[in-house]
Amino acid sequence: MQLKNELDLLFWSSELLFTLAQLRQFPKVYWIWNHRIWVLENHLDSSVNIWKEELVMVSKLLKIDARNFHGWLYRRIIVRKIEQLTGEKKLFEELAYTTENINNNISNFSAWHQRTVLLSKIFGENENESNAKMIHDEFAYITNAMFTDAEDQSVWFYIKWFIKNKVVRETLEPSEYARLLQELHSNVVMINQDDLEFSGKENNWCLKILIVLDDVLKNIGIETCIEKKKCLEQLINADPLRKNRYLCLLNDGQ
Amino acid sequence: MLSPERRPSVAERRPHFLSFSSQNGCPLVVPHLAGIEDPLPESTPDKVDVLIVGTGMVESVLAAALSWQGSNVLHIDKNDHYGDTSATMTVDQTKKWVKEVNDGKFSNCYTNAKLYVSAIIGSGDRGFSSRDFGLDLAPKILFAKSDLLSILVKSRVHQYLEFQSLSSFHTYENDSFEKLTNTKQEIFTNQNLPLMTKRNLMKFIKFVLNWEEQPDVWESYAERPICEMLIEKFKLERPQVFELMFSIGLCYNMSAKTPEVLQRIRRYLSSFDVYGPFAVLYSKYGGPGELSQGFCRSAAVGGATYKLNESLASFDPSTKTATFEDGSKVTVSEKLVISPTQAPKYSQNIPEQKYEIHRLTCVVGKSCEEWFSEGESAAVVVFPPGSLKSGNQNVVQAFILGPGSEVCPQETSVWYLSTTEQGPRAEMDLDAALEAMETSIVRESSSDLENDESIVQFGPNGETMINSVKLGQSFKEYIPRERLQFLLKLYYTQYTSTPPFSVVDPSFFDINDENSKKLITGASDNGVLYTAMPSAEISYDEVVTAAKLLYEKIVGSDDDFFDLDFGDDDDVPIHNANYENAIEDDDDDEDNDVDMNFDVNRQGTTELVGEMEI
Repeated sequence: MQLKNELDLLFWSSELLFTLAQLRQFPKVYWIWNHRIWVLENHLDSSVNIWKEELVMVSKLLKIDARNFHGWLYRRIIVRKIEQLTGEKKLFEELAYTTENINNNISNFSAWHQRTVLLSKIFGENENESNAKMIHDEFAYITNAMFTDAEDQSVWFYIKWFIKNKVVRETLEPSEYARLLQELHSNVVMINQDDLEFSGKENNWCLKILIVLDDVLKNIGIETCIEKKKCLEQLINADPLRKNRYLCLLNDGQ
Repeated sequence: MLSPERRPSVAERRPHFLSFSSQNGCPLVVPHLAGIEDPLPESTPDKVDVLIVGTGMVESVLAAALSWQGSNVLHIDKNDHYGDTSATMTVDQTKKWVKEVNDGKFSNCYTNAKLYVSAIIGSGDRGFSSRDFGLDLAPKILFAKSDLLSILVKSRVHQYLEFQSLSSFHTYENDSFEKLTNTKQEIFTNQNLPLMTKRNLMKFIKFVLNWEEQPDVWESYAERPICEMLIEKFKLERPQVFELMFSIGLCYNMSAKTPEVLQRIRRYLSSFDVYGPFAVLYSKYGGPGELSQGFCRSAAVGGATYKLNESLASFDPSTKTATFEDGSKVTVSEKLVISPTQAPKYSQNIPEQKYEIHRLTCVVGKSCEEWFSEGESAAVVVFPPGSLKSGNQNVVQAFILGPGSEVCPQETSVWYLSTTEQGPRAEMDLDAALEAMETSIVRESSSDLENDESIVQFGPNGETMINSVKLGQSFKEYIPRERLQFLLKLYYTQYTSTPPFSVVDPSFFDINDENSKKLITGASDNGVLYTAMPSAEISYDEVVTAAKLLYEKIVGSDDDFFDLDFGDDDDVPIHNANYENAIEDDDDDEDNDVDMNFDVNRQGTTELVGEMEI
């Protein structure tokens, strides 16, 4: 409070300019970002305007360097503040923003992560019916992504998060959920088979997701014809760095 | 005297280069150069190391390389403009050139020139003037990652020029222009591609970026046409195969062999995103004619002497004396290099130009922005074998430039069509391609389609997509109500010694070697180096190879080819300010020109940032 009285508008704007100049040089230093938030919080102008301008700033920054996770975290803080100040939800706008970023670069891990955060929130607020539609669309989206690049870990991480998500499991009719999972399963098998034919090697990401799918399906009472044991044994050879993890999973299963 | 009938030169268009003004606080480092446009009136030097006759693309790069290396170069051209076989000409200059061709002035280089010019050009009041147009004799595009581009930057010749991006490549198939799907982003968001096709296409694109290291994939196809590998090994379908071979790879026919096509596909893909989301650039105000002029200018700064309107009358190999039409003489201590179009009479060793390239250049009364990407002014359309009514066996390539490229006025565009088909079939193919383009642009720019909302649909994630099936149908049913207005049409056959799909062979320059057995005893041009005519290649890729080979012939080695040190590297401005602009300015800068300095630096910083990625 005392600060606000002593320091004028010029001080606060020059502080914003200063941090921008620093960010330009050091875009990955936590304390510049933290200081900038502090400046905005204490700015003489306490209206929503400076925050809206900040959203434009961070969008442009993410356009230059789309995978700066500091920028994505900062964006979440800014959006939350705008939502608080205006009372409007920006969930769908932000979801569209992540879609745009993922479309631009399927390997944008930060954008996929943002998508998990947003979908969790959206699922929590939506009606069941609209959630079901979103889940269907999302299945199509991830299928498209894994066919576009089956070597990209961000896509597989996202798929793993998505199929294990509680809302996804509980929203759909059990039979529909099972159908979508099985469809995903057969697509993963198809990609793996295709890799095997092309290069003589199976796709490690496919094997890993098949193990997860196997568990998820088993939980709803469906046995897959893929042998989890066989997948794990293959991974022990193909991915020796994580050998002990696979060994542990193998022993768990017995 | 200079002809009043010429387009403004590089120097005249950019006066601030001469006045050393510093618009954005960065003084230009290329030395001041006055009066290069004026031929030296008094006399030519008595003695030079190298005499180069003809100011085409290869000759100009060679002149610059030699003069910066320290050779004493005299570079002449019989025309009143730069460019020779790569010239960018006005309509009147084109008329004069056509007359010369038909008079048989360069019968082994060009024949069969047919020119139609509409009365609207040069008709005073409402018409266009001849110099509103800059027509290239051998139009070319520049890949963002290519040897010529690095030489342009190294020699700073790029500072004389302006470049614009070209990202629109279309493959003509089934009576419509399919837009290229070649980036991961486009493959991912394209709603019309089946999932397995996406996967196969991505697999191929990843492979091709370092294909040489994976011989197990392609070796068994090394001697076979690439389409066999694309279909058998990568399971790609016809549209993708055509797109990869003809639009991305810019091949001429189905028989192209695997390794060379892989090389060409990689050329495109590795050029993508070097300066932005496009693989290809072209120079504003004209193509190779502009670049030739830029290199001549650089050569002049390096100490070369220029003389236009000067032709070589004869050469005496025993005394090494060259005599010009105006009677003056010069002793050439090292080499004489001649363009085949400017050889003196009675030359006996001019290389045989056995391959035909058929070209058709049109100026049409439409700006054709329907074919361009947003903010751009150029496109490439490729007609694969069998796609035209004429049953073409070879590809027809079309390079389209709109008014934004400054080679033509508003509401017009220039279409360059060419084919490597030999003989009389070629003109039929060109005509068929022209007709297809005409029909397409007339119906695409028609207002009937614009109001049909069902053509544009929205995908599940809010992306727009064009319903191409619908578009195709309405194309077929559409009967054009208007006809396209042709302001100019020029057919000609160009000959070259370079076979389609290859660059000039090193042995080409050995033919005239003094020790060679093929020499005609007593011929006036024994020992003369002849340059090669431009090949059918639509990119500049052959230019540096050819110039380097000639350089090596003259200097002995190509080690110091454009080994330039301007000694002021610290002064080259680094555009730090751009980051700020990107954040604080609004998007959509009106200026679509590509700034190579800026982008090269930006490239460096993004990479650095990328290393710190989570």
